[in-house]
Amino acid sequence: MVKRNIQNNIRRLRFNADEMTQQKLADEVGASRQTIVAIEKGNYSPSLELAFRIAHTFKIPLEEVFIYEHVELPKKK
Amino acid sequence: MSYREKENIVNIFSGLLITAIFGWIVYQRHLEGRFDLTEDFSKWGVIFLIFIGVSIVVRIIIYIIFHIINAIATRGEDIPIEDERDKLIKLKAIRNSHYVFSGGFVLSIVALAFGMPVYWIFIVFIISGLLSEIIDNGSQIYYYRKGV
Repeated sequence: MVKRNIQNNIRRLRFNADEMTQQKLADEVGASRQTIVAIEKGNYSPSLELAFRIAHTFKIPLEEVFIYEHVELPKKK
Repeated sequence: MSYREKENIVNIFSGLLITAIFGWIVYQRHLEGRFDLTEDFSKWGVIFLIFIGVSIVVRIIIYIIFHIINAIATRGEDIPIEDERDKLIKLKAIRNSHYVFSGGFVLSIVALAFGMPVYWIFIVFIISGLLSEIIDNGSQIYYYRKGV
């Protein structure tokens, strides 16, 4: 399993946006519903453009949608 | 199960079905003595060309049937658009399938170097072609389920 450092608040944001459906969000940002499901579950990190589109849909800054947890990369010997 | 996963499963089974039936027909004709595949290499070229043509036509038919059945089963749900995730998954799957096909190519050359008959190259090509298609679609299913 891939360890991902990017978390997101999309589920909560959809709930706050009048319980917006995954399909509606997908249509708004030009992605498939499966991609929205994968992003919500943390199985897929979207491109920068798609991330901005999602943020734009909710009319909030990008960092309020996605949270990056910094992890030190192992140093090469 | 998503539309893409179903599509990949249909691809795997149609590839297996087409190759198995076509291979069996060609082998029967070879046994009947209509052509000698161990010596007549130009015949292999003809067989490959026919196989490509037959494969395209049969796949189109299978696709139409799949779409009809899927539309009935999902009550006309729209086919999802291909987005960046689909493209990324496809790219990774194609990379995996190319590894397999390249491995088959190298294997056929090694077999030739070790004195195996020349027609083995064509048999290994068919098998590695089929395997690479299974790996392609299998990888896509894996990435759709496990994440990419």
